[in-house]
Amino acid sequence: MTAAVETRILRYRPRQRLVHWLGVGTVLTLLVTGLALLWPPLSFIAWGGVGPTLHRVGAVLFMALPFAYALLNPRQTRELLVEIFTYDREDWAWLKHFPGYFLGHAAGLPPQGRLNAGQKLHHAGTFLAFITVSLSGLALWFLKGSLGATWLPVMAMLHDVSMLAVTVLFVGHVYFTFVYDALPAMTTGYVSPEYARLEHARWLEELTPAAPAVETPETDEPTEIVVQQA
Amino acid sequence: MGQNAILVDLGQCIGCQACIVACKTGRELAPGEAYIHIREDVRGRFPNLTGSFVHHRCFHCADAACVAVCPTGALSKVDGLTAVDLAKCSGCGYCVDACPYGIPEMVDGHVSKCTGCTDLTQEGQEPWCVQTCPSGALKLGPRESMLSLARERAALLAKRFTSAQVYGETQLGGLGALFVLPDEPLAFGLPEQPQVPTTITAWQRGVQPLTQGITGLSVLATALAFVFARREHHREKRALAAQAAQGEAGDDSGR
Repeated sequence: MTAAVETRILRYRPRQRLVHWLGVGTVLTLLVTGLALLWPPLSFIAWGGVGPTLHRVGAVLFMALPFAYALLNPRQTRELLVEIFTYDREDWAWLKHFPGYFLGHAAGLPPQGRLNAGQKLHHAGTFLAFITVSLSGLALWFLKGSLGATWLPVMAMLHDVSMLAVTVLFVGHVYFTFVYDALPAMTTGYVSPEYARLEHARWLEELTPAAPAVETPETDEPTEIVVQQA
Repeated sequence: MGQNAILVDLGQCIGCQACIVACKTGRELAPGEAYIHIREDVRGRFPNLTGSFVHHRCFHCADAACVAVCPTGALSKVDGLTAVDLAKCSGCGYCVDACPYGIPEMVDGHVSKCTGCTDLTQEGQEPWCVQTCPSGALKLGPRESMLSLARERAALLAKRFTSAQVYGETQLGGLGALFVLPDEPLAFGLPEQPQVPTTITAWQRGVQPLTQGITGLSVLATALAFVFARREHHREKRALAAQAAQGEAGDDSGR
């Protein structure tokens, strides 16, 4: 009798998953404690200064996390930054089909690499918003009382709009994760070949050693395919 | 209760600082903390000198920028005065930056400014400073009455000080602290027509509601689309699986 064989593909290593979930924790902390200063029904969280203290602790972790990752993984960080700001013809073609993808149709879309064009946009937007939300947040924190009536609202508006971008991107990220059953990639680190074929066909092709005319990428990103006895 | 106002008659102030002491004691302020600051101001050239006591205290603006920017409701308007609920203060310090008069300060991580003693006024009592003032320079009452009194006092003072006037009648929607000044406002460091920057209005009435709206909308839109999209995706996956199975069966039969 032959045992059933399940193939699964490594997508995120433990360190990447740890950074991701720490990031989720800090963003949620910042979001809830920040909303307390924006949305009156949540303002009780900020009373007495508990919320703002948590906000500052979350902010320090939020800002330190990418720097820590970049220090430990400089090459991957550089490659990621290049990747999220590089869009080829297939990416633009994929983006044209975004409304259909939003409504659950992934089949027949132009094949995507390790990150699809939507993920690239998400990461790029988060990266840019990270810079503006951090700078405006630092100004609101350390220049408190000396910003004046003109710069306070400028910095606060920049902070609000940046966090709006982070929030909308976060909501979209969660949405697509659950629509396309992508959560296991960040919990176990592995995805099924079906998922990879449908969502990241070009990446799967690059991972397969027998793939014709595909160069092995010089990267430390996960490239192993693990075959497991079920 | 209607709109109250505190009348500060600098023509009657003797600079005794009893109001400061009463305020600090009554409001149980921390050492070094004060809601009222008084300094003696001497103007002119000897021997033609004039002097007065300048009060630096909350002006209780009707269109209070501090209330507009306070994100937790710690600052609010109560019967025309700008009240403070310290338990609600988050210590964000927005009010410190927003106030066109530079009144609020941060002390021990919370806002420090005149509360108008609204806890006392709502019980029919007067604020500590008014109760204590020995020269009658401080009064509390309905704003219209205080305004009439202020005009009378200014007219009386004008016989001796030609620039005497009432300050606070129109500034920032009308102040809840009306000042009888023996001289031009600028002589007391008071702006003629202080302004709240339009950026504060844009922030409070434009960006903040927009931010809340778009955030809510994105959550709502994705929640509604989720049910449909997930069903569609699963249908698509089943179709692809069936297609693959058919292909495999075709391969097997072809062998």
